[in-house]
Amino acid sequence: MPDLSAPSISYLGLAPVLIVLGAACIGVLVEAFVPRHLRWNAQVSLALLGTVGALAAVILVAGRNELTAARAVAVDGAALFIEGTIAALGALSILMFAERALDPAKSAFVASAALPVGSSADRKLATAPYSQTEVFPLASFAIGGMMLFAASNNLLVMFVALEVLSLPLYLICGMARRRRLLSQESAVKYFLLGSFASAFFLYGLALIYGYSGTVDLGEIREVAARSGASDALFVTGLALLIVGLLFKAGIAPFHAWTPDVYQGAPTAVTALMASCTKVAAFGAILRLLYVGFGTSEWTWRPLIYTIAIVSMVVGAILGITQTDVKRMLAYSSIAHAGFLLVGVIALGDAATAGRGLSSTLFYLLTYGLTTVGGFAVVTLVRDGDGEATHLSKWAGLASRSPLTAAVMTLFLLGLAGLPLTSGFTGKFAVFRAAIDDGAWPLVVVALLASAIAAFFYLRLVVLMYFSAPAEDGPTVGVPGLPTTIVLAVTAAATVILGLAPGAVLDLAEQAAVLVG
Amino acid sequence: MEIPGTYAEASGLLASAWLLVGIPLIGAAVLLLGGRRLDKAGHLIGCATIVLDFVLAVALVAALAGQDEGEKAVTDTLFSFIPVGELQVDIGMLFDPLSAVFVLLITGVGALIHIYSIGYMAHDRARRRFFAYMNLFVAAMLLLVLGNGYVTLYIGWEGVGLASYLLIAFWYRRPAAATAAKKAFIMNRVGDVGLIIAIFVMFATLGSTSFADVFAGASGLAAGTVTALGLLLLLGACGKSGQVPLQAWLPDAMEGPTPVSALIHAATMVTAGVYLIARSAPLFDLSETARTAVTVVGLVTLLYGAIVGCAYDDIKKVLAYSTVSQIGYMFLAVGLGPAGYAVAILHLLTHGFFKAGLFLGAGSVMHGMNDEVDMRKFGGLGSKMRITYITFALGYLSLIGFPFFSGYFSKDLVIEVAFDSGGTLGWILGGGAMLAAGLTAFYMTRLMVMTFLGRPRWDSDAHPHESPAVMTVPMVVLSLGSVFAGFILVNVLPLSDWLEPVFGPEPEVDHVVAPIVVSILTTIVVALGVGAAWFFVARREVPVRPPVNVSPVIKAARANLYGDAFNESVFMRPGQWLTRAMVYVDNRGIDGAVNGLAAGLGGTSGRLRRTQTGFVRSYALSILGGALVVTVAFLAVRFG
Amino acid sequence: MSHAAVLAADVVSSGEAGAFWVLGPIALAGAIGMVLSRNAIHSALWLVLTMLSLGGFYFVQQAPFLGAVQIIVYTGAIMILFLFVLMLVGRDYSDSIVETLRGQRVAAILLGIGFAGLVGGLIADATSGVESVGLAESNADGGNVAAIARLLFTDYLLAFELTSALLITAAVGAMILAHIEHESGSRPGQKEQSIARIKGPRPQTLTGPGVFARGNSVAAPALLPDGSVAEDSRATGMKMRQPPAIASGSIDDLDDVTVDSGANRDGVPT
Repeated sequence: MPDLSAPSISYLGLAPVLIVLGAACIGVLVEAFVPRHLRWNAQVSLALLGTVGALAAVILVAGRNELTAARAVAVDGAALFIEGTIAALGALSILMFAERALDPAKSAFVASAALPVGSSADRKLATAPYSQTEVFPLASFAIGGMMLFAASNNLLVMFVALEVLSLPLYLICGMARRRRLLSQESAVKYFLLGSFASAFFLYGLALIYGYSGTVDLGEIREVAARSGASDALFVTGLALLIVGLLFKAGIAPFHAWTPDVYQGAPTAVTALMASCTKVAAFGAILRLLYVGFGTSEWTWRPLIYTIAIVSMVVGAILGITQTDVKRMLAYSSIAHAGFLLVGVIALGDAATAGRGLSSTLFYLLTYGLTTVGGFAVVTLVRDGDGEATHLSKWAGLASRSPLTAAVMTLFLLGLAGLPLTSGFTGKFAVFRAAIDDGAWPLVVVALLASAIAAFFYLRLVVLMYFSAPAEDGPTVGVPGLPTTIVLAVTAAATVILGLAPGAVLDLAEQAAVLVG
Repeated sequence: MEIPGTYAEASGLLASAWLLVGIPLIGAAVLLLGGRRLDKAGHLIGCATIVLDFVLAVALVAALAGQDEGEKAVTDTLFSFIPVGELQVDIGMLFDPLSAVFVLLITGVGALIHIYSIGYMAHDRARRRFFAYMNLFVAAMLLLVLGNGYVTLYIGWEGVGLASYLLIAFWYRRPAAATAAKKAFIMNRVGDVGLIIAIFVMFATLGSTSFADVFAGASGLAAGTVTALGLLLLLGACGKSGQVPLQAWLPDAMEGPTPVSALIHAATMVTAGVYLIARSAPLFDLSETARTAVTVVGLVTLLYGAIVGCAYDDIKKVLAYSTVSQIGYMFLAVGLGPAGYAVAILHLLTHGFFKAGLFLGAGSVMHGMNDEVDMRKFGGLGSKMRITYITFALGYLSLIGFPFFSGYFSKDLVIEVAFDSGGTLGWILGGGAMLAAGLTAFYMTRLMVMTFLGRPRWDSDAHPHESPAVMTVPMVVLSLGSVFAGFILVNVLPLSDWLEPVFGPEPEVDHVVAPIVVSILTTIVVALGVGAAWFFVARREVPVRPPVNVSPVIKAARANLYGDAFNESVFMRPGQWLTRAMVYVDNRGIDGAVNGLAAGLGGTSGRLRRTQTGFVRSYALSILGGALVVTVAFLAVRFG
Repeated sequence: MSHAAVLAADVVSSGEAGAFWVLGPIALAGAIGMVLSRNAIHSALWLVLTMLSLGGFYFVQQAPFLGAVQIIVYTGAIMILFLFVLMLVGRDYSDSIVETLRGQRVAAILLGIGFAGLVGGLIADATSGVESVGLAESNADGGNVAAIARLLFTDYLLAFELTSALLITAAVGAMILAHIEHESGSRPGQKEQSIARIKGPRPQTLTGPGVFARGNSVAAPALLPDGSVAEDSRATGMKMRQPPAIASGSIDDLDDVTVDSGANRDGVPT
């Protein structure tokens, strides 16, 4: 038997992922060995340590461009930017997980997920001071998976990372303390549909392997270039891979799960899914399309073009008739996924200096921050049953709590892409890159969709400011330190990236490198 | 004059010019966000930030004075505002002698008026909000004069507009205040459109909006473009400075609290138009037409303001028309090119002192007279309000150009350069300016006499009393400025030397009329005006009700020389017809289309929404369908 | 065309072809049966059939390791766990199978057939004419198992390691969903229960069902010597048979007579 030489692994390059996954593993041990009354603090600090440490590691290794672990993982500008974005947004989401001041029951997570809903033990634990602290290591696993998902240069690693990020999310979706049935329903839906989509991805992977004999993105590109990529296996495999990724990114027509799951899951989890998962999925889409299938661009380009239009239009139009804030934000995320695809289309080549890539990266960051902020505000508006997410409950919120309404307005304007907010800068950059790339019809559609979407964002603003407050309206909770930090960071980012985005745009420009 | 648009890089203390904007902005934010818990300390925070700002401004000006020759203008790019593709807009600071003058005026007068407001607004429950808006105004105004490009300037420009709107409507429950604020806002918009189109034109033709690039590239532009730019900037300046034809909002703006009238609608914001034109001197130097337009606007306005000012009985309205008229002087001077820039700024400074002082005096009178503004109900207040009387009188003497008071130096110089511009136009400009000086003397003497002298005509419940020290001290300081500022700025620390790095050396001119002759003639005209007022007003009993049977001239003057009627018939009525027509078209055509579209979208949304059944199996079906469609489409693209 | 280089192509042996034609229909039948069965246990068993056939395919295609894993892990472990769970939950427990969504079934069948037809057709088309390469090369060094091991620890090391995260998540998830953590002291332990029983009125065990009865089913209550039913032998949660009436009537038709003792779960005498 010949010698077996293990592949060299750049632990520094993998450090961001390893730190988060390591924190998750330690979190599982904490769950087993630390007494219950200490667990909450231990888990919160561990999860924060993991995500913030990952962010620090990203900053430390910035500037590297290499493939490591037998070409399985890319450590390049785009991957590191996305890993940093995910780590930062993940840290903010973890802070939302850790909020204890808003709910009278101290936590948004159920005390004991195994108890049947409505059983006497369950009712007794409804106000228990403790909760399932496993959500923190699970969230860390998910965040680690997302980071690797966006950095994987190998379809097999990409698939495993996809599962690593999905499985914990399925679990924590179902762990809301209030409205448990809705939460569990969302978890089951997400799980079933996620598995379905994973199957498509896996099938696509198998077909691509059958075609090229490799799962390495760089080698796939070479094989495709050599053989002219005319084989039906190749095309079908690519189509199925894309289906799997589009599902994760919540892009129409694979978006159906989004509103139900976003609505049912605990809001902190929704924030994690709406921001980090989307960023990770787009990281993977960019890498798959440009590294793996860059030479066969003309195969997928018309399709992505069409899907971008469908997603923008579906998200914007369906958002109009929503009556629940979380569902509305879910449709907003579908529309935004379409806008992001505009950036994917406009990635450009060396001639345009990767302007499309850098603007897509920037858009991901701004969208993620604003979305997390929006969901953080949703956690504040509460009534006796927990969060009051029905739109009618938000009527006249400005007279009840001007600051909350003002902050929400800021986020909504950011999502609508009005000037002087980060949303405008992001849209402007992406659309401009698309126009430079000749995709102006797409930009026209995107602008129309933005206008339609602005309607439902502004409707909420109008509702908050110009409607009479309801008699039995919700109260606005006073957030504790964690949510206050989240709101401060996201609001400041929404304003600063709108007023002075220069530095971050430069950063994104420097990071616009894909290797592999 | 240096090559236009070459600025040194800021370093050391000068690199902190942005703090000037930052400090009051933070003050405003703290006051607005702090909520009611700051009600007790709000006014102190508001004043402290502005006083601190003033101290910083003095330090910065001292640092600027210490700069080497040729580095008197320093710039500092703060951050890149919109760095996308070719559109590179930076936000940055430009601190040069011209900005420095404005910074000192804004922070100095601003600090005094803030302190004065502590007393004036003492009984107002929304005092914290007032100080927050005032801080916001100072921040925006400083951004306006410190910006190193037209976009930064425009942000400040809109910022002061916003602050002005908020402050005019400070007592928003009064319909008059709300209407006045709206009027100011709309008329300002007309001007702002001019400014923003000018910025677009700059970007389109020069690819940049920074002062440095625009001035450096201006000489390469077609003459027509430069003239268009000049006229558009003039439109913007007219809107902000209340010049004909956009003058009507300024007198109405007196509905705001009097300190607002003093700071915003007399001393600082309304002079932003003058700043804009002076700052754009390299553009105006290239276009004779644009400059002539500026002088004509100035002349018409200064006469208009002076005539209408004679007819009003409302003390603040008279001062407001006086402001319109005095800013007309500044426009006249600034339109005369290199000879006039420094003179315009000089008049702007002295006017800042005496007009702010006069408004504060008027505020003091109102404070003592239950907020009465009708001069026919004043009279004989001099003995009851001695400090107000004396400081007001000093401001008055300065305004009418009494020899060796501040206004004398600056107004004389304006009239002088008007004559010196030469030709028939020179005579018209000089003559008009001189005539207006006489009118100024008339209406101001009338105001003095009706307010402070003569027999009391107070309402029965009026108990005039002197204002507290927190109000009188700023008035005293400003009156000192109205007495000595002119002399100092002409003879001791010549403003023209200070501004030389900006506008270049004053050109040598052959005087058409010897300066001494102009001075003497002006003084005589002023004396005639004073005498006329004495003859018509002081010698007779002032009726408490304004006489009805008056000459057509007075009628016209009372009706603002039919300015509002003109606006009404030329703009408003056709505007209304147009609006009605548009509304008709809108309702029938566009709204139909829009509503139809909205209904269509809503309907589509409702139908699409039905696909969201909530059942996993139907979602899975949609995914399967999507996958099938995607695969078929890929194959179609590939093999089709 | 696929890049698979043509190397020493093995001709598909007749034995392999024969195995395919036998196992293929069985695997397909298993899959179809799994979908169509209304009984969850039947579905699981159908699936076992498919899995076994797949294992057979792997063996035939010279992948003994994969074949063994398929049979041991899928059929042996996972499917049996499935069956355990189904049995625990109760085999009668089944959802309503009435389809409420209009057109759902038709559309699902059409799309399913369409998708299967499309992908199947494409693959058939793409692979027709491709000559089999054979496994000789990849199995050359130390055989099939060693080749898989080499790949796992070189090229796919990261993917392999990463699955540990997946397994930890799954274990934690199972704990969350199934394990109810009781506060210590909130429930009597074994010791406390024993003490309580000895101290109580009835230290001995309860009477088992079926004593003196004609059947040994758990559903047959024990009879006391006088022929009456021993109430504490009734099992909870199921329908008990009517005890034989000693005094009168035939006892042959007792099996048809049942009474619902559900209302009597807590042992309250009726």
